[in-house]
Amino acid sequence: MKNMRKAALVLAAVPAIVLITPVGSASAHGYVSSPASRSAQCARGDVAESLCGQAKYEPQSAEGVKGKKNCSGDNGAFAPLDNDSLPWKVTNTGQTLSLTWTFTARHATRDYEYFIGNTRVGYVAGNNQQPNNPTTHNINLGGFSGRQKLFAVWNIGDTVNAFYSCIDLNINGGGGTTPPPTTTTTTRPPTTTTTTTTTTQQPPAGGTWAANTSYAVGSTVTYGGSSYRCRQAHTSLTGWEPPNVAALWEKI
Amino acid sequence: MKRLVIAVAVLALAGCGGEAVVPEGQGAHGHGASSAAPPVPAASARFNDADVTFVQMMVDHLQLGISLSQVGLAKATGKEAKDLAGAIDVTQREELTMLKSWLKLWGKPEGDGANLHAAHGGQPLLDDKVINETKEKSGPEFDALFLNLMTGHQGAGVEMALDEKKDGMNPETTAYADRVVKTRQGQIEQMLKIISGP
Repeated sequence: MKNMRKAALVLAAVPAIVLITPVGSASAHGYVSSPASRSAQCARGDVAESLCGQAKYEPQSAEGVKGKKNCSGDNGAFAPLDNDSLPWKVTNTGQTLSLTWTFTARHATRDYEYFIGNTRVGYVAGNNQQPNNPTTHNINLGGFSGRQKLFAVWNIGDTVNAFYSCIDLNINGGGGTTPPPTTTTTTRPPTTTTTTTTTTQQPPAGGTWAANTSYAVGSTVTYGGSSYRCRQAHTSLTGWEPPNVAALWEKI
Repeated sequence: MKRLVIAVAVLALAGCGGEAVVPEGQGAHGHGASSAAPPVPAASARFNDADVTFVQMMVDHLQLGISLSQVGLAKATGKEAKDLAGAIDVTQREELTMLKSWLKLWGKPEGDGANLHAAHGGQPLLDDKVINETKEKSGPEFDALFLNLMTGHQGAGVEMALDEKKDGMNPETTAYADRVVKTRQGQIEQMLKIISGP
């Protein structure tokens, strides 16, 4: 995306004909949503925005030219994804991992590759077709065990680029029995006090509006000195403050 | 690609200033005239091509999101997913009404969503066919499909809104874009926690 500014500057100085030249950047984007990849953990708020940077807002945009061997695709804004010392959650898995890609646009797909270290443990052809959304793959982890970083790559069919997603795994963890493949845990950083979704139903009249709260129809809150009644059941979030969304809150 | 096209359009059509002003009477002087509290917030009259493109694309984007959320409202089995579908439905209807009124105020067409996407190099995640196909699923399988599609769709909205925050000039439109970033990010956070566990 930074290239575009440069492109605009360059283009301002050259004849209009050149503008037709296609650029390599895909507007398709994607990431592994389950188990929660590092990008997904940023979007989920598991790892703080101050640590994640842009990945919080665009988990789908860790894009770089094909062949990179890191989690950011060497895309500077996403460099925190390469940092193994951030408090990433680790997923316990057996030898077969079921994982799901979420896309924000469907782009012709060359293939998907999965690496642990330098070993390619998984390959799925894309046949230059648009992927289904979501796309789920069952990957055999190639005999690796213990704490590993699975490096997932979505290679685009009609650009030079790929999208990168890293998943922290604990394979056949602990006693050697095979845990269920999709169980997700839990190395939560000890200091994290992120507000997880609470379920305060029907707060007492006059309670102050708060984000991450489940409100039922008819709940009343105060916000900014005014009172509001909930018109539509929802879990509140930043940007849905009562004065901003008459569709959710009726002033009373 | 999208940004390039917008940048080019601004350069080509509007010059470096990149701004346009609607005729007298339609804009700044018009929207303050009504005495009752206006049902939708008006946008001021100074805008550039990035503002127009964003609003036109959002109109299409909101309509697709509303269609998907209505299927979610009807078919989702999880309470959180169902509630979110309902909330997205009503909030995006409200946004849609507002954005359409801005285009009218600016004298700009709503535009053809498919053409807009094609012109901006996108392969939109959602179309009527994809939305209709979700109706064939049910139970947890439907919920997973719905949440993944909606997560991706709202993520694309964040991308568009980040572009607008950078390239747009109309204060109401950039403020709306900021709210899109916040609310969609919050929705994505909720959906990812349903998809991949708390």
